[in-house]
Amino acid sequence: MGRKIDAPSGVRAVARYALALALVTLALSISLAFQNSIGNPFWFFFSAAVILSTWLGGTGPGLLAVIYSTLAVMYCFMPPLHSFAVTPRELPYFVTFVACEIGVTQLISWRRRTEDALRQARDELEVKVAERTIDLKNANEALLKQMDEQRRTEETLQATRAELARATRITTIGELTASIAHEVNQPLAAVVANADACVAWLARETPDLAEARTAAERATQGATRASEVIARIRSLITKATPEKSRVQINRVIEQTAALGERQAANNHVTIRLELSPDLPIVFGDSIQLQQVILNLVVNGIEAMTTVTDRPKMLVLRTEPESKCQIRVSVQDSGIGLTEEVKGRLFEPFFTTRAKGMGMGLSISRSIIEAHGGRLWAESNGSDGATFQFTVPSEDSPGI
Amino acid sequence: MKEQDPIVFVIDDDRMIRDGLQSLIRSVGLRVETFASAQDFLGAKRPDAPACLVLDVRMPGLSGLDLQLKLRDDGIPIPVIFITGHGDIPMSVRAMKEGAHEFLTKPVRGQDLLDAVQKALASDRSLRRERREANEIRARFESLTPREKEVLELVVAGLLNKQIADQLGMSELTVKTHRAHVMEKTQAESLAHLVRMSERLKTATRKSGSTSS
Repeated sequence: MGRKIDAPSGVRAVARYALALALVTLALSISLAFQNSIGNPFWFFFSAAVILSTWLGGTGPGLLAVIYSTLAVMYCFMPPLHSFAVTPRELPYFVTFVACEIGVTQLISWRRRTEDALRQARDELEVKVAERTIDLKNANEALLKQMDEQRRTEETLQATRAELARATRITTIGELTASIAHEVNQPLAAVVANADACVAWLARETPDLAEARTAAERATQGATRASEVIARIRSLITKATPEKSRVQINRVIEQTAALGERQAANNHVTIRLELSPDLPIVFGDSIQLQQVILNLVVNGIEAMTTVTDRPKMLVLRTEPESKCQIRVSVQDSGIGLTEEVKGRLFEPFFTTRAKGMGMGLSISRSIIEAHGGRLWAESNGSDGATFQFTVPSEDSPGI
Repeated sequence: MKEQDPIVFVIDDDRMIRDGLQSLIRSVGLRVETFASAQDFLGAKRPDAPACLVLDVRMPGLSGLDLQLKLRDDGIPIPVIFITGHGDIPMSVRAMKEGAHEFLTKPVRGQDLLDAVQKALASDRSLRRERREANEIRARFESLTPREKEVLELVVAGLLNKQIADQLGMSELTVKTHRAHVMEKTQAESLAHLVRMSERLKTATRKSGSTSS
């Protein structure tokens, strides 16, 4: 290639044009030397000179070579010789020569340009590839860091969730304790007030025995009421830790339905069982599960006492919930649940009944949760509610 | 004027507690009336006698604290003794801030309650006496003519007869006559007494806002 790498561009241009002139002069000398032995030799040599000039020097030197060659051919080889004129007979030949020379120059310089562009593109591509590689590496590192961060966030989330569950449990216990404290404290306050009154009546100058007796009797009533509250709470909370064994849930439901049958009949309620025949064995405390189901049955019956416009129907249903969960539902056609009631159903001491303690559902839920299941309530549209719970089967993981 | 026997109002939604407290308070010879709710109490007729309120904080409907605020807003100044099942601090602070006389936790010791009741009644008695006296003074002061009232204002402000005469555009002799009427009508024994009564009336008016007997 005719470019000297460290020469200034002006010098390099001159060198390229000089090379073109030198090559055409060489072609001219060779043509003159061989003009007697080969017919019309200029064709080959001048063509070679033009090709080389264009290839090595570019379009400019190529065109210079074409002009120089044309003049040389006109002067030295085209009749009339030694003049720049061309005879009409030789004109087509001469024009063809010039046209070929120009065509060759254009072709070669186009080729060169394409090659240069290609080379440049390749160089750029290499740079781009390198850049991309770095980008990719950075992105990869960022991704790894993000994954790490996400893992840590998930761990924190897990911990928070566990903490929340614990806090909720404690809050429930706290609420329960506060409510029990109130329930017990109230009759105790009555006992103290009446006992003090009794003493005061006796301490008068002339003791008023009738008043003292009345007060003492009221004190006794208060104490009885306090012990009743405690007895009720104890009967509901005893056996807090389940004694687990293999339980066939359908058997438990049949037994419970039999227990509730009498109350159902008294209230004109029909109990229907829809028990799935192939349920896995449950690992749980059958007495506690029975307590829960009985509670739901009694609640259901009571919810239908005021219903007159539709059949009073209580449906007890069992079905597989998933591979290792069983679902038990108790569906009534009673008064249903308002949103407000639904939100507070499972709060301790919440009740819609005049004589209720409001402990049944709260304790039922803690029993089911102690079994690793879930207890919840749903409205059946216009009439009634469905209470349902899930319990894991014997072979579910974690049991 | 002989005052009526004092009366204690007991408001608690729990009948057994209500009866016990009533019996206890009656045993020391006090009159007691019981109510199952704040609404019942508000609807009842109250005798004009020294009184106090024994009030359960936690009640269905209007709570004890609500009733306290309502009584205050209605200008019914009865001392309140609160009884609460769960003596939580914010609630008692609030009650005391609103002027509760005492805050007792259930179960209340009989003697504590009786002491609180006696103190509250004594306080109500003296407050009532104060209000009554203020009312008497007010009645006397209101019997003055507009001119006499103007003279009174300036006398109490410490002006001399001559200065009063100048300011009101009358003769010194006329001022003297008005002044004598003022002393007579208000039953003031001296100038100092007159000033004291006038001050007392002002503070009483400021304190109660409305004139309740």
